[in-house]
Amino acid sequence: MFLGLFGIPRWVSSPSNVSNIVLSPTFWPYVLTVLTGLIALGLLLAGWRMTDTQPVEQEEYQKQDSKMASWLRLIALAVLMGLTMFALPRLGMVWTAMLMFVATASLFNTRHPLIATVCAVVIPLILYLFFAHVAGVAIPQGEFVRLP
Amino acid sequence: MSFTDSLMAGLGLVATVDSFLALFIGICIGVVGGAIPGLSATMAVALTLPFTFSLQPITGILLLLGVYKGGIFGGSIPAILIKTPGTPASSATILDGYPMAEKGEAGRALGMALWASCTADLVSNLALIFFAGFLASFALKFGPPEFFALILFSLTIIAGVSGESLLRGAIGALLGLLLATVGLDLVYGTNRFTFGDPNLMGGLNFIAVLIGLFAIPEIIAMAWNPVAHLGQSRSLGQSKVSFADYKRSFKSIVRGSLIGVFLGSIPGIGAAPSAFLSYSEAKRKSPNKDNFGKGEIEGVAASEAGNNGVAGATLIPLLALGIPGDVITAIIIGAFMIHGLQPGPMMFILNVDIIYGLFIGLIVSSFFLFVVGGIAIKGFRFVADIPKRILMPAVLVLCIFGVFAVNNNIFDVGVMFVMGWIGYLLMRMHVPAAPFLIAFILGPLLEDNFRQAMLMSGSDPMILVRGPITWFFWALTVITIIAITRTVLKKSVQS
Repeated sequence: MFLGLFGIPRWVSSPSNVSNIVLSPTFWPYVLTVLTGLIALGLLLAGWRMTDTQPVEQEEYQKQDSKMASWLRLIALAVLMGLTMFALPRLGMVWTAMLMFVATASLFNTRHPLIATVCAVVIPLILYLFFAHVAGVAIPQGEFVRLP
Repeated sequence: MSFTDSLMAGLGLVATVDSFLALFIGICIGVVGGAIPGLSATMAVALTLPFTFSLQPITGILLLLGVYKGGIFGGSIPAILIKTPGTPASSATILDGYPMAEKGEAGRALGMALWASCTADLVSNLALIFFAGFLASFALKFGPPEFFALILFSLTIIAGVSGESLLRGAIGALLGLLLATVGLDLVYGTNRFTFGDPNLMGGLNFIAVLIGLFAIPEIIAMAWNPVAHLGQSRSLGQSKVSFADYKRSFKSIVRGSLIGVFLGSIPGIGAAPSAFLSYSEAKRKSPNKDNFGKGEIEGVAASEAGNNGVAGATLIPLLALGIPGDVITAIIIGAFMIHGLQPGPMMFILNVDIIYGLFIGLIVSSFFLFVVGGIAIKGFRFVADIPKRILMPAVLVLCIFGVFAVNNNIFDVGVMFVMGWIGYLLMRMHVPAAPFLIAFILGPLLEDNFRQAMLMSGSDPMILVRGPITWFFWALTVITIIAITRTVLKKSVQS
């Protein structure tokens, strides 16, 4: 509904001189939107039938506090990804990757913090050496410490 | 060009240390990737893809094919030793593999898995060599209406067979098709869902989307539940597979290989259904049918032959028609694209040396798989010991470097993260990611061929049913939809 009534008219531009509707840039998105709507309707009906005929499948038992911790970890990971996007052009890819590695390993409660720290330093450096010096990719260096 | 000329051209291209080394390394990466539960062959191929940028096209593609073949076999190692399939295709191997491991015959089961895998792999590669050229020469007669009908058929079957629910598979495919519309319109050059951002004008980067869909959701899932669920690994035991075992299971191996070739050459079906069909056929025909499920070596042979028989055959639609046979070959298309190659019938004319080079490499890969697989069986305990909570951050870092390297664009890293969350959401909602990705690849092809057909005919829709080829694919599409709907209705009546 959103796509059909708002998304496509607003975000898909179509020239006014299109000779035939099937050649219009909006034709395909509209067809897909209608089909998606029909399938979504089918899913709703199937879900409604299932709730009518079968008991709702219970999600596996999880203590309330552990569920809370899971949600917090998910949010933390989303924030980390956002910070990565912010840090990549500023700190450079290697340093950002090192910090990201340490942060995610801590987020996952690793039982091997020392190995994680060593890996956090070594893996981004190896990848930098491969991509920058073998594949010839201009890896972002950042504004502070530049690698050879 | 005659067959001998093409073969010699291919040999000239592939007969280098680099190519064979890439194939060997690819198989090693694949076996290790497939053997680590939670990493999977698909993710291993996706993560290796960025490393092929700096390689020659043939070397890069052989590296990925090695990872693919190694990954499919590697998945059977944890399936037998810890009852956790490394890839979905190895699920059938658990049925008899794990009971054998419980009886102290893990070494024998793994040995048979390796022998059956290599035999099926060889059969599948030969099928590819014999049928791909034939199909490609036939496909040269295809115009836009024929390709439109073919792609539509592929999408129907992919949406129908790739998940527990037809509707969820279909919604995944439709979302992939919708996402593929992002970018500039190819006929009029107007913006579609670009939100004024120049980064979106070329459409979403394929590598960013695929890595986002297949690698990042695993990392997010790890954040949701970081406790690794690795089971207790069984020892290999003293018994080893014998030639008598192989001889006894040979019929099931050949049957499984042929089932794999047949199902693999139909786009979208993949290795898991093939493995289960091969297993059930072996069970039906075997004199030891009562022993199936209790540790029957023929069961391991049949399921492994079924899933490895698919590996070469999925390349038939890829090379001959430019349509991926499964999700891994969809990723391998990326390697072709990166090197400016377009798989399909024209490749058999323009790049015949690469095609034959790949054929030769694939035949050699079966022998490499035998060597690497033998070593991997003994070394599995080291692979199983890699802490997942260190592996996943390493995968994340690899994803960031790999996705950036495609276009030297940080925006692609952002696309990967966003796709990762979408992939995780789909995972939580039980919407399979495979139809999403395959539809994302096939979407522009479907639309382009449709619009070209309309331009050719002055918008007369009758062009879409203009001849026997289009009739054939339309009939197949209708039959598939009826068959899938019947199965779904039957299931819902039973439940």
